[in-house]
Amino acid sequence: MRTLTKLTHVETKLLVREPGAVFSLLIPLFILLAFGGSITEGDTVLLPMAITMAIALVGVYLLPTTLATYREHGILRRLSVTPVRPGNLLVVQILLQFVLTVLAVVLLLVVGTGFLGAGVPSAAAFPVAFALGVASTFAIGLLLAALAPNGRSANGFGVLLFFPMSYLGGLMQPPEYMPDLLAAVGRFTPLGAMRESFHSVWSGGILEPLPLITMAAYAVVLSALAARYFRWE
Amino acid sequence: MAVIEVDELCKKYDGRAVLDRVSFSVEEGEVFGILGPNGAGKTTAVECLEGLRRPDSGTVRVLGSDPLEQGRGLRERIGVQLQHTRLPETIKVWEALDLYASFYSGPRDWRELLERWGLVDQRNTRFGKLSGGQKQRLFIALALVGDPEVAFLDELTTGLDPQARRTTWELVKRVRAEGVTVVLVSHFMDEVEELCDRVAVFDRGDIVALDTPAGLIDGVDPEYRMGFRLMDVGASGTSRTSRTSEPEALLGNLPGVATVSRTGDRVELVGRGDFATEVTAALAREHVLVADLRVDSRSLDDAFVALTGHSFQAAENGAGS
Repeated sequence: MRTLTKLTHVETKLLVREPGAVFSLLIPLFILLAFGGSITEGDTVLLPMAITMAIALVGVYLLPTTLATYREHGILRRLSVTPVRPGNLLVVQILLQFVLTVLAVVLLLVVGTGFLGAGVPSAAAFPVAFALGVASTFAIGLLLAALAPNGRSANGFGVLLFFPMSYLGGLMQPPEYMPDLLAAVGRFTPLGAMRESFHSVWSGGILEPLPLITMAAYAVVLSALAARYFRWE
Repeated sequence: MAVIEVDELCKKYDGRAVLDRVSFSVEEGEVFGILGPNGAGKTTAVECLEGLRRPDSGTVRVLGSDPLEQGRGLRERIGVQLQHTRLPETIKVWEALDLYASFYSGPRDWRELLERWGLVDQRNTRFGKLSGGQKQRLFIALALVGDPEVAFLDELTTGLDPQARRTTWELVKRVRAEGVTVVLVSHFMDEVEELCDRVAVFDRGDIVALDTPAGLIDGVDPEYRMGFRLMDVGASGTSRTSRTSEPEALLGNLPGVATVSRTGDRVELVGRGDFATEVTAALAREHVLVADLRVDSRSLDDAFVALTGHSFQAAENGAGS
């Protein structure tokens, strides 16, 4: 227990020193503020987009970069010759990145609803969409971490994936303005399903099953693949 | 008492034997060298001892335990410095030591280690800002923070400048003085000569010799060189000019001398065994004054060539790693 406390403490400090963590907090906030001036009272579109982006930045970009770098630098291997299992470090990292995601989302909610006049989400439906959104994007991140040969390539793949995923998910422009085919395909991408779920959370609170199932499927299949291909060194 | 026993250890990668029936034991309190060119199987052997690799066959015992089956308990008692590992760039020196100390049930006081390893001024320095020598000292300190009985140090001076290597050697001697058994993997001859009580010479997955560094050199008895300059005979006041004008006649038949050659007043000799002592004794006896006397030390480099039939460099190039 002493070891886990210490490990969590040190990893928290390292995460705070990581510029990527700050970017994950600030980029969605910047977008929210940039577009926040032009929304109407009770808006149901902007916050779902910004929150989806915040979750995706951590899951697809920050998480795989951190884990792949730890493997590349032999940090997991070095741990495996101490009495501590290297798996502890993975668990602590995933938990911390989850906490970071929560902070980013809370920041967006406070600024969006408190200062910009965006709509308030349904308290019952929000946690469901949030949990599945985090699970599906973190599964993408874990698979990237498993497959990438090093930290830099994990970072590169993350960035490379992030933009098409954001476009298809309707984060760059609303799906109504996208070509029909791309909008239809986009509903079945992780970020499209997440944005759509958050949109229902804001507009009435009735969650459609299809995007939830889509996210759950990504979470299960991709994390199983990640576990299958993960290497400690 | 043997703290490490390796018997008939075999390991193949992709059908290629990296270790072929390797056996050796390490005694308590000694610095045991594992020497060989890159690709000789040194690191694989040590990784089997650390429980990072599963041997294909053979037995490995470290402190009486199987590193794979009883690894959890064993890792409390061993300290490891691995090749090619880093720490997170932004972790501070004290944070790394404090963290690693928390992994062990009976750790050493890391503040004392900071002092001992000359890292007090770097206490709050981030890992990424440390010099190569400082990083290496930190890695050794991390290997010792659990108060181990056996420390494994793998290629600890690779990439260091000569000054930092010397400093690191002094620190390894101090570890030994504290009673920790040290297994030192190296591809530097001078390093194992300086530090090790006994050395296993690895070549292509096999141990070709196992002895003290001096024993290895004596066993092979390689040729070595000496040279000197004849002083102006007139100034010495002696009249034995006939002797000094023909050093070949005086030295050529001494035991161990193979060749004598002279260019002007420079004399070069090649020989084996104790020939350098014979030569200096003969020169003194005959009152021949010489200057710039130089005796090349016999080194493990020569011993390696004699043991394996190829040079260290050739073995590294052939290994292709």
